[in-house]
Amino acid sequence: MNPFDSSASLPGLTRRHFFSQCGLGVGSIALASMLGERRISAAPTGGVKLVNPMAPKHPQFSPRAKNVIYLFMAGGPSQLELFDHKPQLAEFHGKDIPASFLEGKRFAFMDSSFKGAARLLGPQRQFRQHGQSGAWVSEIFPHTGGIVDDITLVKSCATNLFNHAPAKLFMNTGTGQFGRPSMGAWVTYGIGSEANDLPGFVVLQSGPRGPRGGAVNWSSGFLPTTYQGVPLRGQGEPILNLTTPAGVSASKQRATLDAIRDLNLARLVETGDPEITTRISAYEMAYRMQSSAPELIDLSGESPETLKLYGIEENKPSFARNCLLARRLVELGVRFVQLYHTNWDSHGGPGENLEEDFEKVCHDVDQGQAALVKDLKARGLLKDTLVIWGGEFGRTPMGEPRNKTGRNHHIDAFTMWFAGGGVKAGQVLGETDDFGFNAVHDRAHVHDLHATILHLLGLDHEKLTFRFQGREFRLTDVEGEVLTKMLA
Amino acid sequence: MNRFIAIVLGFSAAASLTAAPADYSRDVKPLLAAQCVKCHGKSQQKGQLRLDTAAAAKTGGKHGPAVKPGKGTASLMIQAVEGKHAELPRMPYKRPPLDAPQIALLKRWIDAGAPAPANEQPSDDRHWAFIAPVRPAVPLIRNPQFAIRNSIDSFIRARLEQAKIKPSPEADRYTLIRRLSLDLTGLPPTIAEIDAFVNDRSADAYAKLVDRLLDSPHYGERWGRWWLDVARYADSNGYSIDAPRQIWKYRDWVINAFNRDLPFDQFTIEQLAGDLLPNATAEQKIATGFHRNTQINQEGGIDKEQFRIESVFDRVNTTMTAWQGVTFGCAQCHDHKFDPFTQKDYYRLFAFLNNQDEPTLELPDPSADRSALEMERAEALGDLERYLGTAGGDLDRAEAALSEESRAALKSAVLKALKTPLAKRTLAQTRLLHAELRANDQEFKAKNDRLARAESSKAGMVSTMVLAESAKPRETVMFIKGDFTRRGEPVQSDVPAALPRLVAPPSGKTPNRLDLARWLVSPENPLTARVAMNRIWQQYFGKGLVETENDFGTMGLPPSHPELLDWLATELIRQKWSLKAMHRLIVNSATYQQSSHARPDLALKDPNNKLLARQNRLRLDAEIVRDVMLGASGLLSPKVGGPSVYPPIPDGAMSLGQVKRQWKPAQDSERYRRGMYTFYYRATPHPSLSVFDAPDAFSACTRRIRSNTPLQALTLLNDQACYEFSQALGERVLREGQGSDGERLDLAFRLCLARPPQAKERERLQQLFTQQKTAAADEREAWATLARVLLNLDETITRE
Repeated sequence: MNPFDSSASLPGLTRRHFFSQCGLGVGSIALASMLGERRISAAPTGGVKLVNPMAPKHPQFSPRAKNVIYLFMAGGPSQLELFDHKPQLAEFHGKDIPASFLEGKRFAFMDSSFKGAARLLGPQRQFRQHGQSGAWVSEIFPHTGGIVDDITLVKSCATNLFNHAPAKLFMNTGTGQFGRPSMGAWVTYGIGSEANDLPGFVVLQSGPRGPRGGAVNWSSGFLPTTYQGVPLRGQGEPILNLTTPAGVSASKQRATLDAIRDLNLARLVETGDPEITTRISAYEMAYRMQSSAPELIDLSGESPETLKLYGIEENKPSFARNCLLARRLVELGVRFVQLYHTNWDSHGGPGENLEEDFEKVCHDVDQGQAALVKDLKARGLLKDTLVIWGGEFGRTPMGEPRNKTGRNHHIDAFTMWFAGGGVKAGQVLGETDDFGFNAVHDRAHVHDLHATILHLLGLDHEKLTFRFQGREFRLTDVEGEVLTKMLA
Repeated sequence: MNRFIAIVLGFSAAASLTAAPADYSRDVKPLLAAQCVKCHGKSQQKGQLRLDTAAAAKTGGKHGPAVKPGKGTASLMIQAVEGKHAELPRMPYKRPPLDAPQIALLKRWIDAGAPAPANEQPSDDRHWAFIAPVRPAVPLIRNPQFAIRNSIDSFIRARLEQAKIKPSPEADRYTLIRRLSLDLTGLPPTIAEIDAFVNDRSADAYAKLVDRLLDSPHYGERWGRWWLDVARYADSNGYSIDAPRQIWKYRDWVINAFNRDLPFDQFTIEQLAGDLLPNATAEQKIATGFHRNTQINQEGGIDKEQFRIESVFDRVNTTMTAWQGVTFGCAQCHDHKFDPFTQKDYYRLFAFLNNQDEPTLELPDPSADRSALEMERAEALGDLERYLGTAGGDLDRAEAALSEESRAALKSAVLKALKTPLAKRTLAQTRLLHAELRANDQEFKAKNDRLARAESSKAGMVSTMVLAESAKPRETVMFIKGDFTRRGEPVQSDVPAALPRLVAPPSGKTPNRLDLARWLVSPENPLTARVAMNRIWQQYFGKGLVETENDFGTMGLPPSHPELLDWLATELIRQKWSLKAMHRLIVNSATYQQSSHARPDLALKDPNNKLLARQNRLRLDAEIVRDVMLGASGLLSPKVGGPSVYPPIPDGAMSLGQVKRQWKPAQDSERYRRGMYTFYYRATPHPSLSVFDAPDAFSACTRRIRSNTPLQALTLLNDQACYEFSQALGERVLREGQGSDGERLDLAFRLCLARPPQAKERERLQQLFTQQKTAAADEREAWATLARVLLNLDETITRE
């Protein structure tokens, strides 16, 4: 039996359940029990399970990771300036890439660079080895160099799509088409969330602009909308309309919500529409968020050492602040936290070059991401928390003929890193050819990465399915193999 | 793969009519056409075999006859689809196998001697959507208990009958009037309207209601907004500066077009090429605003040609999305991977839309609300003045560097400005000097252009953005890999080769936008009517007959009810493209009027309600969530059209864009206009619109998603505007309600939901009210609390 039955059979069940066992009052009591604890310790009882689609569920097998923090580097960071150390590329600087690399490649977008003035571009940064593992990391990432013994660097990542918005969708949903669920939605659909007063899937953003594609990147697609990512602002009122209107007391707000819930329940019984279940959960969550969200973003309880570790400046929104918020979210049981940081699209044009612009974006993330891993480790959270770092693709070994130094989008080899949550520490996985063009060992396609991430969470990517439009859908579509070398 | 399975499902219903003799034309040929003729047909003959006629199947290919009449089991075709042949791979090759009823159908047909009509025409192996619809026969229903109000029901219920599923009963009258009012006008019914309908026992009560609602001016608002999604309408320029623009005259043209039931073919022609019609009226020119809803980049240092071309790309893609429902944009950079569109096709279509100027039309309008433009003018002025303050030194240096010769070549106005002492120079003079002497300063240029644009709009006039054909045509070339800097071979305007030919204009002339528009609505075009009807259907049932409403190509899903889709498409043309006629048809069907309640039997048999054995509950569109509250609270301003308005907005919502925009909430009746009139900044849309999934207006939106989130709950609970509505509803109930608290409570309930409360519901609300009344100093507070509950109910923001 599929343990992840779609909600298709819910209407009948709910109706029967309420007709036979519950009046409005009983339903209210069952729901009220959801309000108590901040973090649900055990799966709640029958009636509640039906009305809380986000309740924690058992994974399919024993998980290595319980939570995910995904640091999404929007725009496609250059692996050749960060992690993929290619001294040989420097020797070929300014030369054409051998034609053999391009033969048989479906590489449409790139033609503009090949036929134009684009030549191989030597690495623009110095590298040095770090830690016991001796992994090479760019000088531009000094803090990140300090965590190489806690992470697996995967230098052989590959994807299918070479434009930003579709590639982001591909990285998040396993396809370039709109309408499919994102990874965070699949995960919360599969195992729910332990956070009782915050959404199970939270999105934070930093950098000069939002990621291309926007909300589709954290969409629930055809899964129930409960599972979509909820964006939080790291400052001010974290969420618009979070504050109860002036003149409405706390007790009145609660009495109002109770009545809304009871009447919605009555309508659920009448119509059997599972969307009402989602609506009821949404209202309860909204109520709890009214107090939990301001507490979450209030960093006054954090020690000066912690703030310094992350490099957080007071009252300034930043990636570093979001990293700390990610840790706090995970502490509260939020299952999937995704941070987007822009802009990594280093073509060489204004605001997007591999010179001072790259310097800046690297500086934006370096200390915060390293601090996050260190902090999680120090608090004993790293073993249960999978940290993912990477963009939607990487960048070409060839430069681009623009006014400053830059590289184009590249899908055949790029670097991501993973830490904690059952990932082997201090490992470099995968190797690319001399130019860093193709992965020559341990190719890690997006579908494989997805399969591996789900595996770490105790989910079999072939069995985490949802029936839609007549067939079972998966995050990994019809592909994906668990990269066992990544596992600790 | 999903596409394939859906095809199988589509046919398995027909195939499961076991025992009945296999009808070649009705059952077998469509199955072979869907599953086999791509490889064994006109275009390809794998194994030298064709299966596009029964005769060809009997003749067979290099392995001999595929069909041996009378000998099903011994026929190659059966062995191949069963995967039992020793050498042949299982067919269809590398695709999912046929299901048992389909194989049984083929066997039965062969066993019966494989009868087929003489002179059979080969099946068309083109994708279904690229073949013009042929009006199908309306099926007969055997079950007398299946209500048939019109042909729609015949098609829908024939499928239900095959699947042995009963349709749902008609919804009750309260549900019906609320459903109809929301679907046709986007407003909830008034108490008087509800009572009149519920008590009208005449046979045509429902039909009369439909007619009344279609005649309402609010019909044009409701369905106009449907089209504005596709038109990517918004009130600002987009990109990072996102300055306000004036194009609401186009929005009003759309509303008006729906209200006067402008036929969809004419509606199309006027929007794409109204300016090219003989003696084009001002209204027809306003209609061309459709393709002015592209973004305009006002950043400094941009290449204007690049962004003009971006707009043309958008126009090409939007045209094909809006009328043809295909993913034509893929061909911008390369031949389409799945559909028969080449990159050349793309640029031929591009050529139609590459020859326009982008003027604004000035129209007298004394009532024009200029507040947004005034704010923009003030901001642009401040921005420029600040910049000039910092760039003064640059100007001094430029002045000092002027040679005598260059000085002599300057225009007199410039010379005069130069001679004016710094302290006495007017702003106009300073701007002129910067423009002349520092022509390369992109930042100045951007800021100066922005101010000039804001200043150009004249008092007492309203402007609207339109298209006009350029006097000097541009040459269109292919852009290699879609890159405008890499010019390829020149192309002439033409329509995609895989679609019917364009009727050539009189000798010698290159076809223009008007020819393109007429081609789109010609009866030969296989897509326009289908795509339009599918999207209308989608509004009424939540999903289209083709679920991939934006992809009728080979990667899209096949229609759930192909014959119904074709019948509707041909009916639209037969009704002379009258949309009101089609709305009337759909809402008068029994299928539309069914209850939307879930049924345990359907949860197993048809969980996604593909067969429509019931209606669907649909959460209201963002604008209508607001409209329902305005209607219930009695605050609604029923004014139709006019400049966009500024209802209250949450603090901080306007500071998210690059340029912080002012937003002064209206204090008069403009505060209570329908949601569709809220001023729409692309970069910072009103949060109550985006939280309920209003489209972003960056590109054509053909289907809104319907999310259901805690953020929506927070909006309805705490948003200042929503809170104001609940207080108004509370006061209204006190003011208008007669008799007891209980009667007032019923009134409040019905203002929101049309129906009276059930006993349990009334009891629960009574309990809340009593408790609140005891606690409150003022009775009004208790009513406002009750109203707030009602306005937050799932049912209030749902069309059942």
